[in-house]
Amino acid sequence: MSGAAVPVGIEVAEHFQDANQQRHAAVFGMWLWLATELLLFSGLFLVAIVVRVMYPDAVTAVALHLKFWIGATNTAVLICSSLTMSAAIELSRLGWRRGMLACMLATASLGTLFLALKGYEYWRDYVEHMTPFFGFRPYVLSGDRATQLLVDDYFIITGLHGLHLTTGVSVLLGLAWIARRPSFLRHHQHRVEVFGLYWHFIDLIWISVFPILYLLNR
Amino acid sequence: MSPSDTALRDPLTPRPTLGRPDDYLHSEHTLRSWLLTHDHKRIGILYLLSITFFFIIGAIAAGLVRLSLIVPNGMIFSNDTYNRLFSIHGIVMVWFFLIPSIPNTFGNFLLPIMIGAKEVAFPRLNLLSWYIFMVASLFTLADVVIGGVDTGWTFYAPFSTTFSSAWVVPALIGVIVVGFSSILTGLNFVVTVHTMRAPGMTWFRMPIFVWTMYATSLIFLLATPVLTITMLLLLMERGFHIGVFNPAIGGDPVLFQHMFWFYSHPAVYIMVLPGMGVISEVVPAFAQRRLFGYRFVAYASIALATVTFLVWGHHMFVNGMSEYASIAFSIMSFVVAVPSAVKVYNWTATMYKGAIKLRTPMIFAMGYVGLFVVGGITGLYLATLGVDEHVHDTYFVVAHFHYIMVGGTSIAFLAGLHYWWPKFTGRMYPEPWGVVAALFIFIGFNATFFPQFILGYLGMPRRYHEYPPEFQILNVLSSVGATILGAGYLFPMIYLVWSLRFGDPAPANPWDAKGLEWTIASPPPEHNFARVPQVDFEPYDYSEREQRT
Amino acid sequence: MNLSQYPLLLWPPAASAIAQETDWLILAWTALALLLVAPVFVGMTWFAFHFRAGRNVHRGVREGRNHLLEVGWMVIPFVLTLIFFAWGARVFDEDWHPPAGATEIHAIGRQWMWKFQHPGGQSEINDLHVPLGQPIVISEISQDVIHSLYIPAMRIQMETLPDRYTRLWFKADRPGVYRMFCSEYCGTDHSKMDGELYVMKPADYEAWLAHAGTADSLAAEGKVLFSSYGCAGCHLPGATVRAPSLAGVYGNPVPMADGGTIVADDSYIRDKILDPDARKVAGYKQIMPSFKGQIPEDRLVPLIAYIKSLGAPNAEPNGEPTP
Ligand code: HEA
Ligand code: HEA
Ligand code: HEC
Ligand code: CUA
Ligand SMILES: [Cu+2]
Repeated sequence: MSGAAVPVGIEVAEHFQDANQQRHAAVFGMWLWLATELLLFSGLFLVAIVVRVMYPDAVTAVALHLKFWIGATNTAVLICSSLTMSAAIELSRLGWRRGMLACMLATASLGTLFLALKGYEYWRDYVEHMTPFFGFRPYVLSGDRATQLLVDDYFIITGLHGLHLTTGVSVLLGLAWIARRPSFLRHHQHRVEVFGLYWHFIDLIWISVFPILYLLNR
Repeated sequence: MSPSDTALRDPLTPRPTLGRPDDYLHSEHTLRSWLLTHDHKRIGILYLLSITFFFIIGAIAAGLVRLSLIVPNGMIFSNDTYNRLFSIHGIVMVWFFLIPSIPNTFGNFLLPIMIGAKEVAFPRLNLLSWYIFMVASLFTLADVVIGGVDTGWTFYAPFSTTFSSAWVVPALIGVIVVGFSSILTGLNFVVTVHTMRAPGMTWFRMPIFVWTMYATSLIFLLATPVLTITMLLLLMERGFHIGVFNPAIGGDPVLFQHMFWFYSHPAVYIMVLPGMGVISEVVPAFAQRRLFGYRFVAYASIALATVTFLVWGHHMFVNGMSEYASIAFSIMSFVVAVPSAVKVYNWTATMYKGAIKLRTPMIFAMGYVGLFVVGGITGLYLATLGVDEHVHDTYFVVAHFHYIMVGGTSIAFLAGLHYWWPKFTGRMYPEPWGVVAALFIFIGFNATFFPQFILGYLGMPRRYHEYPPEFQILNVLSSVGATILGAGYLFPMIYLVWSLRFGDPAPANPWDAKGLEWTIASPPPEHNFARVPQVDFEPYDYSEREQRT
Repeated sequence: MNLSQYPLLLWPPAASAIAQETDWLILAWTALALLLVAPVFVGMTWFAFHFRAGRNVHRGVREGRNHLLEVGWMVIPFVLTLIFFAWGARVFDEDWHPPAGATEIHAIGRQWMWKFQHPGGQSEINDLHVPLGQPIVISEISQDVIHSLYIPAMRIQMETLPDRYTRLWFKADRPGVYRMFCSEYCGTDHSKMDGELYVMKPADYEAWLAHAGTADSLAAEGKVLFSSYGCAGCHLPGATVRAPSLAGVYGNPVPMADGGTIVADDSYIRDKILDPDARKVAGYKQIMPSFKGQIPEDRLVPLIAYIKSLGAPNAEPNGEPTP
């Protein structure tokens, strides 16, 4: 099985009339889910933007403490992962199982790299006393309560995003594990595509997080 | 069979079934086959059992609230106990009974059948949604009963984040999690309606019930994430002293109200739209007449689901919000009444020149319209700024929402339950008892909640454990009404269970009604349709009435 | 009148012109509502009887849709109800704008009591005495959670927020004793956070004031606090620190460091004392310390009253010279 193309398709579940209907339902369902997720995040973005409009000074003070370079690197990492994910989808369509698996693993490792960098950034935040919610640790910008709201918002947004990414990586690994079976693409090719939507979405969220939190008022 | 047959025969002789043994109820019998089922009908039944349980819990709390209010000096329960009781009542009734009631039971059972599908689009997700619901609701229930939450169902900050009991944290988690169950159900319904309709089932051939389910699902999808975020922020403030709402640590005290009502006002339409859907099925069936103004009613559902996002501020007229904002929210609330008015008038017109059979579902449906109208009009009173300044947070509001939620939606639920009971179970309920229950509920309901309008206008604030003595007589009246109402609810619980074994077997279409669900056996076979139906008829296609005098 | 003597009360007493107007508003509204729903109730009952199944009546109707009818019952009720939207908004607008020359009383809410402070420095707990025929503005603030001051006889209420002033006004025109409640749920003893409103003839009110009164007016009390909290050290002329003079600040626009101006009202001054960094005054270096957590709410009231008295040159209490 050296990279030879395998047949690609969908096994139609009992309650669907045909593969098209099933694919349509799966993709549409994922879009709706992502729409609710987007609403979830936009509430938090709104808080950040309101704070920015009302207390520009506070935002500047916080932005100076955020690790711009880690954020930027992470943006690049995620964009790369979206590329490898797209490649995986493309290869799955062609039935190149090996290549697809490789791309999926590459995507997962980029995701993990992101999480590792993010973890390091959190640790730096902790060291720099940028954790106002830890009562036992004095907070550097304690004079200004608007900064606190923004920092907290930062932690909630990035934490929630990290949670999504962690889920994404786990699901991706699980999917790769199942997809290692040769018959996978014949029956469940659409799962790769649907998952791809989710992955791009996580990427997209980060691409909004980065300017809203790191770039503005720097 | 006529009611008299039922009365004559021995009530305790089990009746045999008509349905073939391979229907969805009898295909498998193990507990496992229920708990791991992917069948939307079985999941609907699971929800039916769960929400009945939660209704009973909420009703016991309501009973105890009414018990306490018999005396003005609050000597029956302590102040904290009383506060916990109405919080349990509100939280359980809203999140664990009313919001999931019609969508998750009737919706699950009927929506796929009504559009000619074999299943919902994602059966496993559907089961997952039930499990999420059960875990979240039992967790919350344990929390509010054992621990005790004293914030009311609205969780207003900064009270909820500072002074209330610490048990509020698990309750918030429960409410967040149950939101995901709603989202998953809504998602499933929207995808099902979009992709699974049978050939020929165009949008304007769908029954209104499906339209309202669709509109409800849209609200689930759009509004629930806002609640999730709000509750998450509340948790952060409570747990980690992150100042969002509490001014003492840098937050804004009215921000919470904005965020909460941005979800919770649309949520009240989540509660009312499905009821309207049920009534739009029942009235044409028992009038044997096509639903008047079908398209307008369909559009009205979508209009409600849209405009509902623009009126949240009417809960906040007296919190110092700017005058112009208040005026804008007031007029939007008048606008949102228009689609409701359309529906009410159309139901009335549907009865004109019908051939009306006053069976239990129809009696409930007519009761629904009457009570909903009273609740709706008093909602407009509240939207009138000059009036709301006076009656905000009084029993007037309590009466308003009980008229809509209990007099409206819960009664629509009962109407639907009786209407589709033959379809769900393959058995007829005993007709005379249904009529008796409807009368008890109708009388008890008005006796309970009408006095509360007067109390509210007199100025009795809600969530009051002790009240001035001049309010006592009306309160006692209300408590007496609640007892009658409680008895009224008890009847269906008993006779419906009784009918499972002793009721007459139901034919496929006992009401001579239209709609795909009546074309298949009662109870339906496992996969609904042996062959996918071809739809070439309009909804509510009740033919000429002249012959049917 | 003593309300608790009424075993069964069906309509609340109305003690102001606006209260009476609200009553008319709701009665007229009810009349229209009955008109609008009559077709529904009468129609349903009559149809259920007249067109019951098995009865031989004429049932032939034109099928097809009657647009005129459908649009008609959408638009006509809506337009009619707008009358009440407008009327309600008018009453609300009136309640939003107190007339000039109203007496200002401060209300501080906290779990679970009210404290009222009269302009003359008298303060009372839970109960409130006011003169007949004189517009009263109640300026409210909370020390902890949200409360709401509710006076049914005036048909009015307003939430009492932490960290923010809200106000409500009324002009009582019937002497008597009326109930006041806290209508926003605030915890364990929410239902006991109530009191009585005594509407008195002006002469009686004066007598009451004299009886209850402390010698010092609010502003005079504030003047003492102004020195004891060290404000005077910076804000009086001759201080070594460069800080703005507070004379004439109240009620006038203040230029802000970030451009723009703010009219100095109660909230502004309160914010300035508690959180001076939030809004900086143009032309000064911000060195004022925050007094958050040091000055309790019921002392802020006299402080602000004092600063306010500096604003109006003629109202200087005790005839002392303006600093
Ligand atoms: C199912 C739930 C439900 C529904 C459908 C509604 C429907 C409406 N509600 Fe209600 N409401 C609640 C549940 C609901 N409400 C709850 C739970 C609260 C309290 C929350 C809390 O604080 O705990 C509340 C509180 C509430 C308030 C805040 C009161 C306060 O706290 O001060 C207001 C104010 O505007 C309001 C208005 C309305 C209006 C205008 C409608 C309209 O949609 C009604 C439209 C219906 C009709 C008008 C009737 C039919 C029409 C006719 C018969 C024809 C006549 C036609 C015209 C008049 C045009 N509601
Ligand atoms: C779906 C929603 C729903 C439903 C079905 C109900 C049903 C009922 N509700 Fe509920 N109610 C709410 C939603 C609902 N309610 C909400 C959201 C609130 C606001 C909560 C808050 O402020 O946070 C509220 C608040 C509320 C209050 C105000 C409490 C307060 O502000 O202090 C009252 C008071 O009468 C009340 C009464 C009732 C009654 C009598 C029923 C009846 O219909 C129930 C019928 C059942 C019975 C009447 C039981 C009969 C039993 C007995 C009489 C015996 C009692 C003794 C024992 C059990 C031992 N409700
Ligand atoms: C350490 C000196 C200092 C002390 C003590 C001090 N202030 Fe100030 N205050 C200032 C300065 C400086 C400013 C102007 C700076 C700014 O607003 O950015 C100011 C501004 C103000 C203003 C706004 C004036 C305007 O023109 O808008 C008010 C009101 C005020 N102070 C009240 C008080 C009160 C009341 C106290 C005591 C409880 C007090 N201050 C104590 C230094 C002080
Ligand atoms: Cu204070 Cu309720
Ligand atoms: Cu509302």
